[in-house]
Order: sequence, then C-alpha cells, then structure tokens
Amino acid sequence: MIVKARTLLASCLTGAVMAAALPALAQVTPLRISLNADIRSTNPGVNRDDNTDAVVLHMVEGLVAYGEDASIKPLLAQSVSLSEDGLAYTFKLRDGVKFHNGAPLTSEDVAWSWRRYTDPKTEWRCLSEFDGRGRSKVQAVETPDAQTAVFRLDKPDALFLATLARTDCGMTGIIHKDSVKADGSWDKPIGTGPFKLEEWRRGEFVKLSKFDSYANPAEGKPDGYAGSKRPLVDELRFVVVPDNAAAKAALLRGDIDIVPDIANADVKEIKANPSLGLSIAQNMGLSTLLIQTRDPLLSNVKLRQAIAAALDTAQITAAVTEGLAKHNNSIVPLNSSYHTADHDKGYAYDPEAAQRLLKDAGYKGESIVILTNKRYPQTFASSVLIQAMLQAVGINATLEVLEWGTQLDRYNKGNYQVMAFPYSARLDPSLSYDSVMGSKDKQPRKVWDNPEAQALLERSMLVSDKAERQKIFDELHARFLKEVPFVMLYNGVEASAFRKNVHGFTASVLSKPRAWEVRVAH
Amino acid sequence: MLRFITKRILMAVPTLFIMAVSVFALIRFIPGDPAALMLGDMADPASLSDLRERLGLNHSLPIQFAIWFGNIFQGDLGHSITSSQPVLPLILDRFWISAKIVLIAVLFAALVAVPAGMIAAWRQNSMLDLLLVGTATILLSIPTFWLGLLLLIFFGLKLEWLPIVGYVSFSDDPTAALLYIVMPVATLFLHEMGVLIRMSRASTLEVLRLDYITHARAKGLSEGVVLMRHAFKNAFGPTWTLIGLVLGNLLGGIAVVETVFTIPGLGRLLVDSIFARDYPVIQGCLLFIAFVYVAVNIVVDLLYPVFDPRVTAE
Repeated sequence: MIVKARTLLASCLTGAVMAAALPALAQVTPLRISLNADIRSTNPGVNRDDNTDAVVLHMVEGLVAYGEDASIKPLLAQSVSLSEDGLAYTFKLRDGVKFHNGAPLTSEDVAWSWRRYTDPKTEWRCLSEFDGRGRSKVQAVETPDAQTAVFRLDKPDALFLATLARTDCGMTGIIHKDSVKADGSWDKPIGTGPFKLEEWRRGEFVKLSKFDSYANPAEGKPDGYAGSKRPLVDELRFVVVPDNAAAKAALLRGDIDIVPDIANADVKEIKANPSLGLSIAQNMGLSTLLIQTRDPLLSNVKLRQAIAAALDTAQITAAVTEGLAKHNNSIVPLNSSYHTADHDKGYAYDPEAAQRLLKDAGYKGESIVILTNKRYPQTFASSVLIQAMLQAVGINATLEVLEWGTQLDRYNKGNYQVMAFPYSARLDPSLSYDSVMGSKDKQPRKVWDNPEAQALLERSMLVSDKAERQKIFDELHARFLKEVPFVMLYNGVEASAFRKNVHGFTASVLSKPRAWEVRVAH
Repeated sequence: MLRFITKRILMAVPTLFIMAVSVFALIRFIPGDPAALMLGDMADPASLSDLRERLGLNHSLPIQFAIWFGNIFQGDLGHSITSSQPVLPLILDRFWISAKIVLIAVLFAALVAVPAGMIAAWRQNSMLDLLLVGTATILLSIPTFWLGLLLLIFFGLKLEWLPIVGYVSFSDDPTAALLYIVMPVATLFLHEMGVLIRMSRASTLEVLRLDYITHARAKGLSEGVVLMRHAFKNAFGPTWTLIGLVLGNLLGGIAVVETVFTIPGLGRLLVDSIFARDYPVIQGCLLFIAFVYVAVNIVVDLLYPVFDPRVTAE
C-alpha cells in the first residue's frame, strides 16, 4: 500500500515537473554573450564605446566593412568604383536587401542616412572626418538610380572607405528613416543587419532577435564584418557582467555561452576544461611605452635608444600575454597586409649596449617616472617588467599607478616622462601612424613630432597605390627605430572563451564578439 | 514633536547645500575630462571640442554650478553625459533595486543579531559567547566582495542551486527575482550581522551591569523577564542607532556587491559614473545619497523614544 502511494506520488511529481518543463522547452534558448559594461546607446557612431559598437553592428550595416585582414570589403554595396580623378566613389547596392521593417534598401536611404550623419544635431563622432576639417570633404551624395549612390569629394582621400567602415563611426550604417522619431530624435535602429532589436534593459541585457529576411552578403565563412553573416540563433542576448570572476563563473556554470574577453591568466584553466572552447586573435591595437621627447632628460635620443636596448620586448610580450601574442616593434600591426619582413626588424635587446648609450647620453641616475594604470592588467604587468629591465641597466625608473581617466588626461596634455599606454585598434597603417604622429604644439598628446616623417605620413593618406604606400611605411619604420620616439611592444590579444555546445564562434581581429554564423546545440 | 521634525529638516538644508557645493567642487578636482573619456584615444581635436561644447563643459565652473544648482530646485538633476538619460529617474530606478536588497538584508541581520548579541552578553565569557563573538568578528572582517565570490562559487557553481549572473525584477517574475537576490542579500546579511552582534552584545553588557537589573533579579524575576522586559529596551537604543547608520550607509550604494552579482543598483551606477567622469550622475547620486542618509537618521531619531522611554523627541 505504502509502495503504491509512493509510486503515485512520484508519478504526480514527475507529471508536475514535466508540465512545468514543457513550456520552458518550447521557449527560445538564447545565445548569451557577456559584456563587461552596458552599452551607451543604440545610435550607431553617436554615443558609443566598444561594447556599443559590438552590439549595434549586429543590427546595422554600412556600405563597406573591414574584413579579417583589415582590408575594405563591400557589405551593403555590391561593388565600389573610384573615378580616375579620385574624387567620386560609386557604390552599386546589392539587390534584395531589406530593412528590419521590411522596406527595401535603396540609394535614397543611403542619401538620407548621410544627410542625417552630417547634420551636426546628430552628433556623429566622425563628422569632422568628412566636413572639411579632416582630409577631405564630401561635397555631395548623388542617387542616379535606386541602386546607385555616388559620393563626391573635394580632394582625393586614400582613407575615405577605411573611415566609412570604421566601427567607431558605426560603420556609417545605413538605417531606415523610421529609426528616428518625428522630431528627428533617435528612436531605435532599423537597419539591415542579421539581428534586430527587441529590448534593451539598461544595466542588465540587450535582447536581439533573428532577422528572418536577412540578405546574406556572401556564402562561406565570416570575414571580419563582411563575409557570410547568417543569423543562426533565434535570440541573442548581450548580458552585462562587469566582474571578470563572475563572468568566468557564469561561463563555467552555463549561464553565459560566450565570454569574449577572458583574462589571459585564465586561458590555461579554460584550455584544460573539456566543456569549454577557446579562440584567440591578435588585434591591431598598439601596446606601447610612450616617451615624452620634450622632457629635458628624454629629449636626448641616446637615452631613448638606451631604453629601447634595455627592454626585451619579446620576453615582456610573452610574459604579459601568457605566450598568446608575438611581439611587434613596428607601428604597422602584425595582421596588416603592410606588415612585411622589413617591419619584423625591431630593437636589439642588448643591456650592455644600453649601458654604453646611457654613458654617452651623460645620464647620471636622474629619476624617470613610468605612468601606468590597473584598468588594463596587461599594461600594468608590462610596466612592472619594464621598470625592472630599466633598473637592471642602471636607469632610476619608478612606477606611478593612475586611475585610467587621470592617465588619459595626462596623455592628452603630454604631461608625463614615460607612460605605458594601450591604443585601440586602427585598421589602416596610416591611421595607426596618425594616432601617434603630429605636432606637439598643436596637439600635446602626439608622441612622434618630426615634420619630415609627418610629410611621408600625409602622402600615405593621399596615394591609393599599395606598392607606393608600402614604401612609405617601410621608410617610416626605419626612422621610427632610429629616433625611438616611443617603444612599440606588441599588438593586443583577444582571448574568447565559449561553451563547447557553441559552434562557429571565433574571436576577431576587430576585438568585438560576432554572433552571426554561430549556433548553439542544446 | 512637530517642532523637533521641523528643526531636524531645517538642519538638513545646510547639510545638503554644503554637500552640493563639495560634491560639485571635489569631482572636478579629479583629473580627467568626460569628453576625452567618451571619445577615448581616437579623439581628434575637432570632435573633442564639439563634444565639450555640447556637454556644456566649455562654460566656467561658477556658471556650470549655477546652472546645475538652479535646475535642482526645479527637480532636474540634469542628464547623464554617457547615456543621455535624465538623472533623477535613473537614480530612482537604480535606488529601488539597491534598497530592496539592503532593506531585506538589514532586517534579517537585525532580527538575528540583536537576540544573538543579547544572549552572548547574558552568557558572557561562556563558550556560547566566545562562539558568537568569534563568528561576528570573522563575518565583519571578511571583505564583502570575497564573501560574495565564495557564495557565488559554492552555491552557484558547485551546488548549482542559485543563478550566478543577472537580475530579474519582482514585477517580471517574483520567484526568479527571489532566486537572483538570495546571494547578494546573504552576503550583506552575513557581513552586517557581524557588525550588529558586536554592538548588541556591548550595549546589553553595559545595561546588565546597572543597578535596576540587579534589583529586578533580586525581586526574583526570571532571567527571561529580566532580559526582555528590563534589559532589551534600554540595550537596543545604541544598536538601533547603528542600524540607522548602517542603513544610511548601505542605501547609498553597495557597489562591490552589485558588481560581483551584476545587480544594476545605485552603487554600480555611481562607480561607473566616476570612471566615466559622468559629472551630472555623480553629483546627482551623491546628493541623493546624502539626502537618504539624512532622512534615515531623522526617522531613526524619531523612532528612538519608542525603544527607550527615557529619550523624548522634545
């Protein structure tokens, strides 16, 4: 009797559990990707940061995009052609592309989006690149037919497409005019991307859903922000998890499917875990040791050369990236097609030569302060090693740890002697050089102030011929190694961890998680 | 009573004014430019100048203060630099999330700690006393972030009883909401319980040594009656004050706990805003926290006579 009662009870319980579980099974299980901070807005290229770009670029696409090798590829455009005088870019749009509201993409949408971006009220962060304050000015956008848009420039600009495709510019994403309210203020992104916005709960998550009518730009594999971009999951959720340890715990538990920026120190543990996978990509960010060449002490080139000779950059890179990254002493990133054998030439680690150079420089043990921060653990770790290596050759180096906002302020004012500083990725070598080169009188943050080198850089922004540009970058690199305006250490590394039931996810050179061509087996 | 309340509220006005001035000035002493932080290392001078203009950072500091302070009187704390949201609704949204966790944790901590402290005092120097005081000392010595991580690893990761990241509001799903706040509440509960046990024990010990307790015992009253009727009311006063301070302090933000458990509360908002130099949000948060602190302490003072008849609101 007791056994029967127990069996009956067990059956009832099982039934109840099944009944409770069935609706749950019918629910969509989302692909969950962690973000270390909430996004700032859903408005492409306006109020943004890296996390914002990563989320928004799942919904919005531009005419052109960066591929995995940092070259420019058509995205909404079928083809791009440049007029002989270098002043007109003609974009032929792909057929069959639709916005999330079902409307077809036409050249009129391109022109409308451009007018909106270039309206100062939009507060597009890249406006100054195109309104004449930068290299060139877009004088007009013409729409000869529904599938053609022509951008007319006032002067040739080799970086025009590269700037359009910049992720911080929101890829100059083409959006439908219903993305803004009647008063012109931002509402929500109605783009052409593989996912559409469902809900943004501030501080918690951003929920996107699959765009069923997505027009895939290419078959095959994803290629940066181009290539095949099919949405393979019904729901995508970017979950805000500010604490690294909590993000890792959530991944191990299965509450998160992908952590795009796992700490390097955790890589060994992730590799050893059979339920987790790992994908590593070296990005195009520059990890550097900046030197203030206007400092009375460090204006002496021999002292700067001594610093370079005292640093074993290969060892520093291996140590701070847990062996994941290769050192690079060139401003041209390792992944760039312009990084040829010439750019593999770097500083020779030679402590004895460093001591000789110090003697020649007349160095008498004056204090040299290295500024650093703990917001970027690799930057801090490299600073500690740099201090030790400098002290080993007799340089009186001390470390000063600043909060990131304070360090950025000191950087912008040029108020430092030596500073460990990470630059975010620029995807064209001219832009990488441009971030560090320029007149310190006009912009105190500039690091390398040499008019001759500057003239070379400016030329690289005008010419489109690859061979000619290569020659310019090679010459700039030779000058860079000789003058040592700063020390280039390595390009950043991105380690992404994911659950083994996630298929198709790879870390990207663009340092942002991509959810297209990714599926989850449940 | 009314006079007392009016007096306390009037006393709060200069406190809040001084707070407003100090907050405005101090946050600007910290080096760092919100516009530069927003644009990062890719900022070109033209974009930087545009953004500074839009954010009103090109005005002189007195003008910035006058605009901000003038708007406060109209209930407008400005707009967030980073998210463009109005500051007051943003703060209130986040405050309710923090307040739920803090109020539940402090309520439970007080319910456990006050009797535990009294029992420890009653059995002073016994094994029970040592155990309670030892536990309290350990609990208040453990940093909350570490305690939180331990709970997270044990109950979330090893036992898989509780969810690790995220937050669900009670209006969406009460059961899930409860599961999500168990660990943050437990972290705060354990920590604050340690603080309150020590205070409850110390104030009870003081009362138990007084003549009227000896007199009550001499009358032949049971220990239970002595403790509950004669010792508790007088001994609870200092603990009640401490509960007020703890509440005021915690309601101002539990940034560390909120970060570990990914709770979008007021503390996390404040910390994120400081990193982003989001001046309007920092100023609004700190002013709001000062207001909460003052309000909680006024309420505590008003309720004090309920527990200790010797004290009157007059």
